[in-house]
Amino acid sequence: MHTLRPFAAAFILCGAIVVAASARQEPAKEPLAAVPSPSSAPDARSPRNANYEIDARLDDDAKSIRGRETIRWRNITDQGTSELQFHLYWNAWRDQESTWLRERRMAGLFRPPPADAWSSMDVTALRLRDSSGEMRDGTKAMRFIAPDDGNTQDRTVMSMPLGRTVGPNQEVEIELEWTAKIPRPFARTGWVGDYYFIAQWFPKLGVLESQGWNTHQFHAATEFFSDFGVYDVRLTLPRGFVVGASGRQTARTDNPDRTTTHRYQGEDIHDFAWTASPSFIDLSQRFEHPTLPPVVVRLLLQPERRGQADRYFAIINATLKRYGEWFGAYPYPNLTVVDPAFQSDSDGMEYPTLVTGRSRWLTPGSSQTPEGTTAHEVGHQWWYAMVATNEFEHAWMDEGFNTYATARVLAEAVNPNRVESRYFGTFIPWSFRDIPFTRVDNDRLPGYRLNAEADAPWTPTFRYWPSTAAIITYNKTALWLHTLEQRLGWPTMQKIFSTYFERWKFKHPKPADFFDVVREVTGRAHYWFFDEVYRSSNTFDYGVQEFRTEQRDDKTFTTTVVVRRYGEATFPVDVVTTFEDGQRAKETWNGQERRAVYVYERPARAVTVQVDPDHVLLLDVAYTNNSRSLKPRGGEASLKWSLKWMVWLQDLMLTYGFFV
Amino acid sequence: MGSLSSQTPVSGLESARRAWRDGWQRVLDAPAVAAGVFAMTLLLALPLAILLQDALASHLGSSLAAETAATGVNYDWWQEFTAQATGLGTTFSPSVIGFAAVLENVSGVLDGRTPIAPIATALALYMTGWAFLSGGIIDRYARQRPIRTHGFFAASGVYFFRFLRLAAFAGLVYWWLFAYVHPWLFDEQFANLTRNLSVERTAVLIRLIFYAVFGALLVATNLVADYAKVRIVVEDRRSAFSALSASVRFIRHHGRHVVALYVLNTLTFLVALAVWGLIAPGAGGTGLSMWAGFLLAQLFIVGRLALKLQFIASQTALFQANLAHAGYAAARVPVWPESPAAEAIR
Repeated sequence: MHTLRPFAAAFILCGAIVVAASARQEPAKEPLAAVPSPSSAPDARSPRNANYEIDARLDDDAKSIRGRETIRWRNITDQGTSELQFHLYWNAWRDQESTWLRERRMAGLFRPPPADAWSSMDVTALRLRDSSGEMRDGTKAMRFIAPDDGNTQDRTVMSMPLGRTVGPNQEVEIELEWTAKIPRPFARTGWVGDYYFIAQWFPKLGVLESQGWNTHQFHAATEFFSDFGVYDVRLTLPRGFVVGASGRQTARTDNPDRTTTHRYQGEDIHDFAWTASPSFIDLSQRFEHPTLPPVVVRLLLQPERRGQADRYFAIINATLKRYGEWFGAYPYPNLTVVDPAFQSDSDGMEYPTLVTGRSRWLTPGSSQTPEGTTAHEVGHQWWYAMVATNEFEHAWMDEGFNTYATARVLAEAVNPNRVESRYFGTFIPWSFRDIPFTRVDNDRLPGYRLNAEADAPWTPTFRYWPSTAAIITYNKTALWLHTLEQRLGWPTMQKIFSTYFERWKFKHPKPADFFDVVREVTGRAHYWFFDEVYRSSNTFDYGVQEFRTEQRDDKTFTTTVVVRRYGEATFPVDVVTTFEDGQRAKETWNGQERRAVYVYERPARAVTVQVDPDHVLLLDVAYTNNSRSLKPRGGEASLKWSLKWMVWLQDLMLTYGFFV
Repeated sequence: MGSLSSQTPVSGLESARRAWRDGWQRVLDAPAVAAGVFAMTLLLALPLAILLQDALASHLGSSLAAETAATGVNYDWWQEFTAQATGLGTTFSPSVIGFAAVLENVSGVLDGRTPIAPIATALALYMTGWAFLSGGIIDRYARQRPIRTHGFFAASGVYFFRFLRLAAFAGLVYWWLFAYVHPWLFDEQFANLTRNLSVERTAVLIRLIFYAVFGALLVATNLVADYAKVRIVVEDRRSAFSALSASVRFIRHHGRHVVALYVLNTLTFLVALAVWGLIAPGAGGTGLSMWAGFLLAQLFIVGRLALKLQFIASQTALFQANLAHAGYAAARVPVWPESPAAEAIR
């Protein structure tokens, strides 16, 4: 990093001059510091082909942002392009006809927001540096496009003709000015009270691929895809706000107009988000590990959750440690974790070097709040921030991978870890000491079970049915990865993921790239498995159809086992029959046909049979039918639980007895 | 017993304390009443529990999942069961375990959750049962002497239709509270007040205030209905409307006594809940420990029923102490087979 110091010094100097000269409400008009192409930096981890210098000012009263940005973009494909495409995310909440809101309505997840909740993003000026080095106004050439659904009322993607072709490895410089109305929380962005969480907030380039621009509209179930670069961002806010942002803070200047300009810089990141509140408790700890680079962890905590700081730091450190050991080092020097404000809807989000956790004011020590979400979002630094898949099309590759890895962290690092319910408007928690959270729960089998056939994962994610998209993206992927782990063993899985991480960090891998790594590491392609879990929406359900044991004349016993594939998807499973004398018969059924029949002649009668006794196939949507016992205890169990339930009902009757 | 006197002026708290003590005495003197309402609570819940047991047993079949479900909690099976459950099965959640049941139920009422149809039917039957028995219960507590089974049920029958008319008034108020006041408070006003809140603690405080306000409205309605019932029985009032207005008059003139007694009874109830919170059994296993846990839970139910009876008995005692005298009831002991139908056509 030391080779960047001269440039950084130039940045800071120019920044100070700009700030000193701009004691006014307008964003600074002075040219931003000239930056040589950062991709030439020898320590660049990524292509750094989309570099942003942003100068933005928050109007706290009007809940708006005015900004100016200079983008230096380099074409890293082998094809030329004559246009640029930008995401204008906040226009998704401009009116009810955006694609985002149409999809929310379609999913039954839409409630009309209050009148002041809407947002907008208007590009007010766009200039291109032409071949002569002069800036040319391109404002009038901008137009909205809807590449995904043709929705002419959607304004989340903007196209800008360049008037020339930018060839491979050529660079273009653009200046934009924009104004944006900040929404009340919509999809984890917005303001509530004095708290701001500002994400997807600036006009951001799509990704040019060999096939053309990959700039999807903002959809209800997908969010990100952008190129890596260097971000140099100046945020001017009223004085007194504590600010957290992607990258690291390099300067803070108090201005004469009672504002403060916060400067953040980040290298090899592909997005930039920030948060601000005067109420944050600003805490820091240093993560240290014998073999991993140190990380300064900054926690911006809500005052009402002051007592949860240790829990936050513990899970952040546990995640940095385990992901670092398992997959590869977290290379950035810092990480900011935001404890989001109540009702901000900004919980559980990931941005490069900045994530939000999730917690409640009252949370039992044995629950997974704030640990669960925090581990997940920190984990996204690997599966999203560094291995930057196209989340519009293959969201399972970051959310699913990360859900699986998070479940591993939680299983190891959170103890006790129990199921909780919340009562009285969800404000009052109750932890069930009898019900531990297991890997299966964290891998989210219950949600998947209900929607297993909703979509096949190969479908581009933005085309998933909106209300069940998360089930397929998160749950199914985590479950099939867990299943693969049970089959291959954790050391192999760990090698798969560390190889994949090492090969694809700071790049944009596609599904085939992951499958190739699996083949490379295991020596087998596992096509049959990926055909089932990735290319199909079939469900897995194996079970015992028949189980009987009969005594023969010669005092031996004939045991008949019929196991069945009830679902359409196939997977090899073990079938284990246990006999009274303690002997076990284990069969491996390829699971292809509808049934398999096993007959045993043994000196002892059989007592139990189990299909997939080790629960390798975590995707099995009905595991109860996987076993049978000839000494069943269903009666006892059902009696016990119906008595519990009866007491609950009696108590309910007495509660209603208040009214008479 | 019978120590209260309307002749000696006493403070609200002292009067309430005496009524509270006297109420307990009356409850303890009539164990058959407690046994009867316990039997009703048990017998109404039992058929539904049997239905649920059938559903659970059917889903478990002879699966080995039953092993862990029997010895503790098999949460994977539990979630699989609820995923396919309909009707009663949908109410089988972890909240049935231990003290969570109390939280779930109180929270359900205060949050205005509507029970599913089979549960709502059972609740309606249960409340009707209470409406029927209340006449006999108050009559027994008012007289402070055994009236035997026939006297008890005759009194229940005599007062049942009066209580039904009273319930129509009270029900109308409760309906208005839940249909209009509750959504206005908890949906509209809570949303408005917390709209710009970024601090959950403040939202909790507002919610608690709203619970207190709504709870106070429920309690006020409850008090008026309770003393109306007492006045119907003790003074042999025929008109539910006049009993209601008499109840309001009594509460207005003896407000401190009434409130102090209600507070004492409520505190007793909260102490009982706290004790239950400490000793409520968890999932447990089967066999002896299961039955021991069930027995303990039934003792809690009996305790709650005794507390409900204590509300009735102590309110009766308080009324008698202030406007009548201990053991006073205007009507003669109803004689079997005087039926509710006969009363209805008078």
